Amino acid sequence: MLTSMLLILPLAGFLTSLAAAWIVPASSKARASGAVQKIIAGIGFAALFVFAFLAKSEIGTGYLGIPLFGLWLNFGLTQLSWYFVAMVAGISLVTVLFSLQGLRDDGRYPFYYIWLFSKTFGMLGVLLSADMLTFFIMWEVMSWCTYFLLQQGHEKAKRAGAGYLVYAVTAGMILLAGLLYVYFNVGSFDFRTIQKAFSGFGAGRIIVAMLLVLVPMLIEAAAYPVHWWLPSAYANAETGISAYLAAISTRIGIYGMTMFLFAGFGLTALNLVTANKYVSANEVLMIIGAFTMVVPTFTALFQHDAKELMTWHSIGQGGYMIVGIASSTTLGIAGGLFHVFNHMTYVSLILFSIAAVEYRTGTTNLNKLGGLIKKQPVAYLGLLFGIIGLAGIPPMNGFVSKWLIYRALILSGHPFIALAAFIATLGTILSVYKLIHNMFLGQLPERYNDIKEVGWGMRLPIIFMMAVVWLTGAFPGTVLAVVADIQQSLGLERVAYSVHGVAAEMGQLNMLVINIVFIGGLFVSWLIYLAGGKRKHIGQYDNYAAGHFLDKSIPYNYNYNFYAGMEHIFERLLHKPPVKRAEQALATFVSGTSEYVCRIFTGNITTYSAYVVAAVVVILLVLGGGR
Amino acid sequence: MAKELTQKAAWDRVLAKLKKNSLWMLHYCTGCGAIELPPTMTARYDMERFGIMPMVTPRQADILLITGYLSVKTLKRVILVYEQMQAPKYVVGFGSCTINGGMYWDSYSTIKSLDQYLPVEMYLAGCMPRPEAIIKGFSWLIDRVGKGEANSWRDYYENYEFYRKNQEELFGGPIQSYQDIPADAQKFGILEARQ
Amino acid sequence: MSVLSIVVWIIAYPLIIFCIGVLLGGYERKFSARVERRIGPSWIQPFYDVIKLMSKKTNVSHGYMHDVAILMLLGGTMLTLYFVPVPGFSYFSQFGDFLVISYLLLIPSLGMALGVGETANPNGSIGISRALQMLAGYEVPFILTFIGVAMKEQTTSMLDIIRVQQAGGFWAWGLIAHPLLGVAALIALQGMLNEKPFEVIVAPHEIATGPMTEMGGKYLGIMFIQHLIAVPLELTLYINLFLGGASNWLEYLVKLFVLWTALISVNMVFGRFRVDSAVKFMWKISLPLAALGVIGIMLNIA
Repeated sequence: MLTSMLLILPLAGFLTSLAAAWIVPASSKARASGAVQKIIAGIGFAALFVFAFLAKSEIGTGYLGIPLFGLWLNFGLTQLSWYFVAMVAGISLVTVLFSLQGLRDDGRYPFYYIWLFSKTFGMLGVLLSADMLTFFIMWEVMSWCTYFLLQQGHEKAKRAGAGYLVYAVTAGMILLAGLLYVYFNVGSFDFRTIQKAFSGFGAGRIIVAMLLVLVPMLIEAAAYPVHWWLPSAYANAETGISAYLAAISTRIGIYGMTMFLFAGFGLTALNLVTANKYVSANEVLMIIGAFTMVVPTFTALFQHDAKELMTWHSIGQGGYMIVGIASSTTLGIAGGLFHVFNHMTYVSLILFSIAAVEYRTGTTNLNKLGGLIKKQPVAYLGLLFGIIGLAGIPPMNGFVSKWLIYRALILSGHPFIALAAFIATLGTILSVYKLIHNMFLGQLPERYNDIKEVGWGMRLPIIFMMAVVWLTGAFPGTVLAVVADIQQSLGLERVAYSVHGVAAEMGQLNMLVINIVFIGGLFVSWLIYLAGGKRKHIGQYDNYAAGHFLDKSIPYNYNYNFYAGMEHIFERLLHKPPVKRAEQALATFVSGTSEYVCRIFTGNITTYSAYVVAAVVVILLVLGGGR
Repeated sequence: MAKELTQKAAWDRVLAKLKKNSLWMLHYCTGCGAIELPPTMTARYDMERFGIMPMVTPRQADILLITGYLSVKTLKRVILVYEQMQAPKYVVGFGSCTINGGMYWDSYSTIKSLDQYLPVEMYLAGCMPRPEAIIKGFSWLIDRVGKGEANSWRDYYENYEFYRKNQEELFGGPIQSYQDIPADAQKFGILEARQ
Repeated sequence: MSVLSIVVWIIAYPLIIFCIGVLLGGYERKFSARVERRIGPSWIQPFYDVIKLMSKKTNVSHGYMHDVAILMLLGGTMLTLYFVPVPGFSYFSQFGDFLVISYLLLIPSLGMALGVGETANPNGSIGISRALQMLAGYEVPFILTFIGVAMKEQTTSMLDIIRVQQAGGFWAWGLIAHPLLGVAALIALQGMLNEKPFEVIVAPHEIATGPMTEMGGKYLGIMFIQHLIAVPLELTLYINLFLGGASNWLEYLVKLFVLWTALISVNMVFGRFRVDSAVKFMWKISLPLAALGVIGIMLNIA
């Protein structure tokens, strides 16, 4: 049973590394403890990666039931869940490989891999669960694991983690309500039974059920009105963890949304709510998606911290997925699902590059960095490839999924949602240029004169992700094949893809030709460049300053308040009510609640473990008793 | 070999004919002469019909137009700006002050003769030279560029010791410079091209 | 189209567009000189400028990204060029629609932005900051006009949009059929071409020509070549979307020069906006026009 290995492996890894942490505690021998943890994690996640890909053969067949208090927890792979399982396994492995060197063995993160294993277990559990009860239980496990992953490190991270927990608990409660609502209406947790029952229901009951399950998914996916938890939580986590979380953890919400929309309640139920004359479910979702795209992206524009800027983008990019999937068109769903993969690749690439800079300079403050291209060229290239992908500019992969989404929106008659998507893209371009400019371009401050490129242990994952971002851009068909299979398995029309783009019957896109013409254009430009005279490289102080002599004592740089004009335009929205007031009120509320919640967290590992056990026991007792 | 050389010479001749139609000017106007430039540029005399345009930064410009007197302090900046320009580049001394100090002939703080410190391609004499004189001067410069004779900029590379010595004597010590002129002459092959 | 003619077109197309660009650029300078009662430079003055810049003996750059960026600038523009159909040559249009073109147009901007960033000159960085803000300004209404047209014709392919306009004759031209969209796009085009009143990027008197501050010699030369290709390219986009494309080169040239004259006439009589005013103008005037046009189309369809 390969599918069962997907659950056993992370669990085994969790227990092994927990045991190792007990045998070789970080408090006494930080280096040795770190090395042992890294070896276990490396082997564990490599094995998980292999099994995730082997498990493809078991899609739709390998069901696994675990008896628990007279209930059965059912696990199994579908096309959709395999796509996400493969992504989880892949990005976990890359994150771990990056952290082998990227994580310093200074004992600051003694439980890094333990929580990584547990989080992976939680996510795989959610993805593999084959009925609604299992989904809910694993969902709770995953939320708690996310919290443990987030609260590591300094004090801010603990607070932000607690903030997340408030949202996660709320989401869990709503999901529980949804679960009970469905159960009392249908009398079963099995999706097939639910589908059968729901196809006979009226719109009212379907809408209530959908609300109750989709809202938690949107909270997890950090959709617009409920995205507050994400920026501080991810920005304060260790940078490798931020990459992992932004890349895939948030996207579990997208998985849940897709699953419940198209598979959970069945297409008949979905059609009933979307064809509704008054409130069309998918249009509501698309409007949420549009706000999720635009607002966080423009918030990112005014951030001063590289990681915080990226976390806002991570929210914004989720909007594309929501819009694409909610558009319920072949191209849109394909674009939305493909965007999950693309987003995973480039966002982790960008955060790895930021981590490489942070590793050397110790800061991610955009106002303090600058000119690092001369010192860290590989990190620069990584960031460059990443931002081209993020902004959705050809020839990187982000373009293909965005193209699919645009085309779907335009042709299905949603011009203003399409415009929102385009505005978000422009906002992305603006803020990612600020990111790369303030970190790598401009004047190199004197204090960074003798820093070096990071080691190969961090360079290789960056180079690997660069290759992925580019190659899946040139040959999007490799991933679109999986996406088309998912669409087929959900009973939808398959997207007509070719290896290097989208086939003619669904539009014209050939990324390979774009790549070749681009390389040709570069080559011709290079010939023209060579036709000119020789050139020499000069230093940054040999620069136009209207005849002034520049040297290291003169800061000659433009990076603070980079988009002054935009700031002027959005001044009222940024600094004045009503948005600010609402934000402040909510922030006060959240931080107040978080502080209250914080009191039950002692920072002690045994207490936490006890909480987990207690929570699971209580849930199972309640459910078992209800039986 | 000889044929190659003549081909190159012929190509250079064609290029020179084309190049003379576009000369961009950076004016360094610390002195009073700048007042003569607006009529030269605008409708009355229209310098642009010769392809001469004002430019903003030294990287883009071909002509460094120095109007009027240069104090010792500003000369430092002029040298910096000149060295930041891309060859071929032409220094034009505008007005008597750049030739012999003009009415500042006995000032302690101005330089008397610009060509001691930078290779001057052309002087426009007068106090002030009228726009007619400026146009006339530029026509002469354009002719020289067209014939490939405007080579004063090579002089800076070839006789750098001379200029450097004068500059250091004036400033009373080693001067701050971002450029290594002899190394540049090697790198860009400026010395060989002359032979 | 035979393989041979495609190959010939691939080689000739950028050259032809470059020549047109030289004429347009010379025409602009001659035109503005005439308005100012001057004689003005030669008709092919941009060509002389490019030759002069490319034949500079010494060139300096601030690093490898500066070198590569200049290639991205020109290479990206040439890449975009191939996907824009002109009379007689539309081979590459089958591989990418208007959405592709609008995104390819971002590559040169990004290339220039990266290269200028490496020159470590704040004037350059300010120029890029302004350029990107302007991008957000004009691209929003421009893309909305395209979305409107595409929704009306139910296609995103530029060739199909041209075909529809040519089949319907003069009254099917985008500018006539959807005047609101046409006008909105025209305003956006003025910004796209960086003409006054939206000429905030170069602004020689404020930020020392912005992105071009540290560009000299062949670097500036390649920027000039790119500009000379980009001008006819962006005008062609508008012609294809709103002026019915062109069925032969004469018609194409006439439309090109008429449109260009209109834009540079506006350029001649305006001063320069501040950057936030320019962006606001686009969002407050051009965008609502386009939005009204799109709503009209939506009502028409429904």
